[in-house]
Amino acid sequence: MVGNDIVDISEAKRTSNWQRPRFLEKLFTNNEQGIIKNAPNPFLKVWQLWSMKEAAYKLYTQLYPSKFYNPKGFACFMKEDFGIVKFKMFQCYVTTQITSEYIISEARLNQEWMTSKVIKFENKNPQKQSKTIRKALIETGIDRFDISTEQVKILSSKYGIPSLQIPSKIVPLSITHHGYYGAFAIS
Amino acid sequence: MKNDTLIVKLKTIIEPYIQDEDAFKNLSEETDFVKDLKINSANLVDIILDIEDEFDIRLENEDMEKMLDVKSAMAIVNTKLNA
Repeated sequence: MVGNDIVDISEAKRTSNWQRPRFLEKLFTNNEQGIIKNAPNPFLKVWQLWSMKEAAYKLYTQLYPSKFYNPKGFACFMKEDFGIVKFKMFQCYVTTQITSEYIISEARLNQEWMTSKVIKFENKNPQKQSKTIRKALIETGIDRFDISTEQVKILSSKYGIPSLQIPSKIVPLSITHHGYYGAFAIS
Repeated sequence: MKNDTLIVKLKTIIEPYIQDEDAFKNLSEETDFVKDLKINSANLVDIILDIEDEFDIRLENEDMEKMLDVKSAMAIVNTKLNA
């Protein structure tokens, strides 16, 4: 099981205003609002925490198939070099990588290294991006499981949760995209 | 509020965030914000804040949980307006 989420930094600057009234209160717990307020770069902290929540949500919905919108319910706790996200009785570990272009988070049930493969898209057309990422995903699947193109298929559940079908098993996976960036992680 | 008036108001709110024009043209109560309109999940909160401003209501966490499609948005706004 794995959940991931990428934030394109220039896209976030362009399409969201984290300083608009009630924005932070709607998405973040009191503790998280404090972390944001005290961060050297509050903008980056907002989107780091957001990507942690989204990654954790994607992992959660693999365990408990469902669809809902409750970012504030996924509470982030920052440790030295990783994060913990809790939602009700659920808890997971999240690693985040921040570059000058994007922020990516990956959630796992146990502490693991980041495995997400990041892709930079040439355009913002959602259909084309989806095609590009699926192609890369299939290629990675073929390599990893040593199978042929015909033996691998990307499935999507009724909740939109993706997985990889390979001979004799279904492997959980996570796909994310934002602006000009996308990424995928195979469990 | 009448459903057709409400859906027109919602369409105006949603439009700046959509990334699939065709799905937006064919918008119905069944339209899903993320799956159909390709709205970025980071912008769902903006839609919620815009709805609050437009209808002068406040949405709680429980209301936000279901805000994933046009039908739920309409139901939530109507419930709040009639409260």
